[in-house]
Amino acid sequence: MATRSGLERWFPEFFDKYNAYTVFDLMKSYIEDGRIKLDKEMFTQRIAYHDPCNYGRKSEEKFGYGYYEEPRWILDQFAPNWVDLFPSKANGYCCGGGGGTMLTPFKEVRSHYGKKKIEQIKRVEPELIVVPCHSCHGQIQSSLSEAEMDIPVKYLWEVVADALIV
Amino acid sequence: MENSKDKTVKDLAPLRDIKSSPELCMSCGTCSAGCPITGQDGFDPRKIVGMVIEGRDQELVESNLPWLCTMCAKCEHACPMGINITGIVRTIRGLVDRDKVPGMIHKGVELCLETGNNIGLPSEDFDFIIEDVGEEVAEEEGYEEFAAPIDKENANILHTLHNKLVNTQNEDLVHWWKIFHAADESFTIPSENWEGVNWGLFSGDDESMKTVVGRIVEHMEKLKVKNLMYPE
Repeated sequence: MATRSGLERWFPEFFDKYNAYTVFDLMKSYIEDGRIKLDKEMFTQRIAYHDPCNYGRKSEEKFGYGYYEEPRWILDQFAPNWVDLFPSKANGYCCGGGGGTMLTPFKEVRSHYGKKKIEQIKRVEPELIVVPCHSCHGQIQSSLSEAEMDIPVKYLWEVVADALIV
Repeated sequence: MENSKDKTVKDLAPLRDIKSSPELCMSCGTCSAGCPITGQDGFDPRKIVGMVIEGRDQELVESNLPWLCTMCAKCEHACPMGINITGIVRTIRGLVDRDKVPGMIHKGVELCLETGNNIGLPSEDFDFIIEDVGEEVAEEEGYEEFAAPIDKENANILHTLHNKLVNTQNEDLVHWWKIFHAADESFTIPSENWEGVNWGLFSGDDESMKTVVGRIVEHMEKLKVKNLMYPE
């Protein structure tokens, strides 16, 4: 998001010379074009998907397009039992790790955001949480640990990599 | 591979260029109702907009308020007047003296400007980690031919890295490498200025943000890469 908005703002000629792809565009095209094959037996557990603000609501506002459907499509290809948190997509709640807050000392407020996310997670009782964002990954892990909940958190590209048939 | 879906009217029609001044705020409180931290440590997005209208900039700059907000945009998504509340928060952050920016955000920006990454990792350590983790991948069945490509020219994809993967979470470096390998994708990792995360976005520092984005453009030109994978 920083890179894309920075390129658009300060280096618009970049897009005349190069294409730029999000993590979703790449994974989706590799699957669609048959360049990668995924094991459909590996992730049959109940997975909760969390929308990062930057790829969703903020991309929608900044670039006119939010990446809501692509990650869900990717999960559909090999993980039949994933579920949404509620509310999700443009109405989703921040995990508390956005805006660089993981790098600041204001732990109590960050933990307050985290509790909201934990409430959402508890309602769907997942066995695994999947996120496509480094900040969300760290913050949700830390909120789960504060809540003494033992649920693994994986990156979307991590479950894709784990399911690769090579 | 298309960069976006086939274009429809919805894609082509220009977005409304909302120039919605904070002064248009009707104090409805929708922003505060949606914000997950309203009431925490005095945080309240409506109050922040109100203070901006009253010109109480200095109070905001000296407070913790802009740093408690994650700029998640739930407030402005719901704002009926289209006020850019995260833009307000980031602007306040940018007005804070750089030595008063809390935590590691600005220190990371400074390190990135000096060393090419937000954690100040020396390049020999970086090379060692990338090579070492690459070798571990090659020990796995199906990845025997894998080698992490540093500064390879004419690759299809430029792959920059999140500093935490090179720092404490080396095990998470491997996922994209495996996907690229399985997809027979040609990619390259720059040996210098490999940082994929731009903390100037968080600190409200446009000048540094531009420098760090400019490094991506330099990599593309220098390494003759065809396409960029957005780092975040």
